[in-house]
Amino acid sequence: MADEITITIDGQEVTTTPGTMVVQAANDAGIYIPYLCYHPGMKPYGACRMCVVEIEGQRGTPASCTLPVRDGMVVNTKGGDAVQVRNTTLDLLLSEHPHGCLTCHRIDLCGPQDICLRHVDVVDRCVTCPKNERCELKDTTRFHTQELVSPLTYQYRNLQVETKDPFYDRDYNLCIVCARCTRACDELRGDVAIGMTERAGQVLVGTVMGDSLLESGCEFCGACIDVCPVGALTETAYKWERPARVEQSVCAECPVGCTMTYEVNHWERVVRAVPELNAPSNMGQACFKGKFGFEYVNDKRRIRKPLVRRDGELQEASWDEAIAAAAEGLAQHRGPAFALMANPRNTNEELYAAQKFARAAMGSNAVDVASNDRPGIVEGLQDTFGYFAGTMTTWELADSAAVMVVSANLTEEQNVVGVPIKRAVRAGTQQLIVIDSREVELTRYASLWLRPYPGTDSVLLGGMLRCIVDNGLADMEFVNERAEGWDELVACLEPFTLDAVAAETGVNAASIEQAARIYAEAASAALLFGGDSSIGGTRRTLSRMVAALAVATGNVGRHGAGVMPLYQGANAQGAFDMGAWAASLPGHNLLDDASAREAFGKLWGVPIPDERNPGNRSIFTRARDGSIKAMVMLGDHVHYEDGTLGDVMGGLDALEFLVATSAFPSAITERAHVVFPAEVWAEKTGTYTNIERRVQPLRKVAKNKRVDSRSDLDVLCALAAAMGAQGFSWDGPAQVLDEIARVVPEYAGISWERLMRERLDIVTTPSDEPQPTQVMYTGNVLTGLKWPCASEDGELFVDRFRHGKARLQPVAWHPRPEVDPQFPLMLAHGRVLLELGRKPNVTVVGKRNRVEREERFVLNPVDAAAAKLGEGDPASVTTADGAERRGVVALLDAVPAGVVSLTTLFGELAVEVDASDRPDPMNHIARLNAAPARITPV
Amino acid sequence: MLSSLLAAQDELGYLPYEAVDEVSLCTGSSVNEVWAVASFYPNFRFTPPARHSVEICWGPTCHVLGAQPILQGLVSHLGLEGEGDTEDGSISLKYNTCLGVCPHAPAMSFDHELAGRMSLDEAVSRVERIRAADSAGEQQA
Repeated sequence: MADEITITIDGQEVTTTPGTMVVQAANDAGIYIPYLCYHPGMKPYGACRMCVVEIEGQRGTPASCTLPVRDGMVVNTKGGDAVQVRNTTLDLLLSEHPHGCLTCHRIDLCGPQDICLRHVDVVDRCVTCPKNERCELKDTTRFHTQELVSPLTYQYRNLQVETKDPFYDRDYNLCIVCARCTRACDELRGDVAIGMTERAGQVLVGTVMGDSLLESGCEFCGACIDVCPVGALTETAYKWERPARVEQSVCAECPVGCTMTYEVNHWERVVRAVPELNAPSNMGQACFKGKFGFEYVNDKRRIRKPLVRRDGELQEASWDEAIAAAAEGLAQHRGPAFALMANPRNTNEELYAAQKFARAAMGSNAVDVASNDRPGIVEGLQDTFGYFAGTMTTWELADSAAVMVVSANLTEEQNVVGVPIKRAVRAGTQQLIVIDSREVELTRYASLWLRPYPGTDSVLLGGMLRCIVDNGLADMEFVNERAEGWDELVACLEPFTLDAVAAETGVNAASIEQAARIYAEAASAALLFGGDSSIGGTRRTLSRMVAALAVATGNVGRHGAGVMPLYQGANAQGAFDMGAWAASLPGHNLLDDASAREAFGKLWGVPIPDERNPGNRSIFTRARDGSIKAMVMLGDHVHYEDGTLGDVMGGLDALEFLVATSAFPSAITERAHVVFPAEVWAEKTGTYTNIERRVQPLRKVAKNKRVDSRSDLDVLCALAAAMGAQGFSWDGPAQVLDEIARVVPEYAGISWERLMRERLDIVTTPSDEPQPTQVMYTGNVLTGLKWPCASEDGELFVDRFRHGKARLQPVAWHPRPEVDPQFPLMLAHGRVLLELGRKPNVTVVGKRNRVEREERFVLNPVDAAAAKLGEGDPASVTTADGAERRGVVALLDAVPAGVVSLTTLFGELAVEVDASDRPDPMNHIARLNAAPARITPV
Repeated sequence: MLSSLLAAQDELGYLPYEAVDEVSLCTGSSVNEVWAVASFYPNFRFTPPARHSVEICWGPTCHVLGAQPILQGLVSHLGLEGEGDTEDGSISLKYNTCLGVCPHAPAMSFDHELAGRMSLDEAVSRVERIRAADSAGEQQA
């Protein structure tokens, strides 16, 4: 590279790029310069003065974290002046940091419970600090073999430890004011939920007026904990646990697929999750689910042994007995009377085996995953581009000039996707359009927020598309070269005039045109959509509209441009790829395609049944009406209980035979005839495919030793063997992946060995030198492989679509659904981090903080007048499911007529999850769907 | 941001949470960012001030000419431990680094009116006059 420069550090020549700071250049070359406030990925700050160095030909000792490299620079990190400055700095830092044990020769012999013979206060001791042996300050002090004076002379701040908020403990007595946490919250997350307070000697980290994190705008992502060098910020759970070993794997909470390093203690418990600093999927970030939601692995309540129903009661049995019982029961229900429900936390290998088991072993096409409640959002993409998948990667969103998010609560459901968007908006390089009838976290960042009537998203996008066509904003060169069906599409847009669309959606015409212009005129525009407020069949139209908008403006296949469907479920993409859902067979081959069925019939040696796959919702309907008689259910999911899939339990009650694999006793296992104790994600080996189509290796992190569990793959293979089915004799997931790579063309070239080879080799300084945790854990990042990865002609989406050209599809106008006169309004329930202009009450209940807040129903004045309500009136909102909420009315013209808007604070959810006694509360957070409702005065 | 905070404090005499929130709305920053700025400056206060202000200069000139005895005397006279508000809410005592009238040192200001060549007795009697007027006003109200 032309713009490489060479500098000399401690006599060693180091090649680096201009703009790099000296400390990073040294670290990248494996040369250690001590630092406490610097953190890779964040802007240099220069607070701690530990990284001072000497530069030949330059006076003084500049801080190397704020010093850019210069060609020919000669750096001396070990010069006498620099070392003296560092020692003085450390002295000063320790003058306000409890360090009783550092002056003691016995420290290595002491445990936290030992009685100290030196009469050092508990708060003075290092051994009672949660970060003992993980503390960068202590490591740095030891590294410098600092001579410390004894007896102790330091000032203890005597501050109350903040332990009342969910997930976090904050002990500012230990803070060294490096400002990593505030900078992480600001620069990395864009939240600024914490800041520096006061000045000079009193300066500390805090929130406005010392508020609780519940009301300061905290999203509990844990980024501040991950960067804290000392014991000031820690996770409440397993606070004092030290890792015996660490394992890299992939988070199982959502389709972003964050690479995480899990710390495992001596008792094989997962105690901490640290997002991987350099992983391409998450770049060192995580969210409250991934950071704090793993406790269920260690839970005592897990099912320990297989259970078989005898005489109406579930009784413990051996694995062989249970397999035999399940195989015998299932053998009586071969054919379309059998259905299999898989789980989005299943690996690709399990999903492949599951659909093969249903189709080849049981002769039924009825297989789906629980999270797949809105298949329409990928069907329109398949219609147009050929694949049930998005076209983008998460982190290119940081470079998009415009981003449009349609009906998706992504900061909660796919949190890390929101991070690059928030960063770019705050940096002023991106315009964000939010189309959502609810107020969600991203609306605060939006330059334009359109609030259509729930369910009219597709009409609104149609209006934008027509506006783009009418105003000559379409990229006709791209359309002519890369797409077919344009004229037919334009003909369909006839009814989508601005006025008609404005009337149908309740959004004014000028805003629709403005959105269309921002999207079409941006240098690169991304379109993210969740279809949260749409219903049934309109989602397929929505995703066709999305694809058409992207094609019409040439916003696909370029960096920062593309479309991303925001489905739920960690491995939902894997389910589409493996054909473990309604529309397709493995490899995005439509189930309706007779030749595809025949091909797979030949491959598997068993004809594939002709029946259509009813899909998950209808599977339960059919179970209720008796046409499905036996089922296999893999795992638990929120959709089984939140009504998304209808009356699931009613369906299970009507079954003649139910086999469940589950980690915990649940309403499903209560109804099962055979229950297998399932391994959870952290105990499995396999692959997940994330929202970017990146196939990522999932590695065994730990094993709960109390339970005799097996993976769903093992269970399915054992059942198939017991039932005499052929083609299930794999020896481990790697062999399944080999079969997948053979039959799924997109996965060609992917193997376990190759996934283990695809690494980012990051040079780090030797691990005996003090480093931030995230830096210590990085170095061997498994990047996964984005499909398709076999050499082909041209890159997918960039040069070609699956069928060469994109096939633009006709689109229909879906009017508003008819309103039930009993429930004339639609409740648009959103969730925000903080509500501007209104402060909730935080009270302490027991030992925990709680949010107390009056509900505020925001209404259009027209609806308020109809219900005889005015600003500030108390009112009650009842939804069709019978739930009632009380609050006060607020009037706002921006809310479309027919909608009542309501927000809850994210803090309320955090408290709820934290206080939940469910083993796996993160798996039970329901989505925020629009619901019919009525409002009445109280 | 700073000018908005100053305007709010001039208007209200202090910065309540609502003012911080309002400034954050206007400037497009988080409340915590506004707080970081506001809490940096000792001139901002976040609780309602007392009804009358008494400032005492402890700049170098006033210090040399005897501000310390007045300051300490006044603090103990008002039953305070330093800067702050009296318990009855009548007087806010503040130290000022320079009132800008060094030729008249030691200087003080009573309700923003300057007074020079102060002695402890004079300071106490002025403070008592303000208090008397204040309690008379209170009773009338």
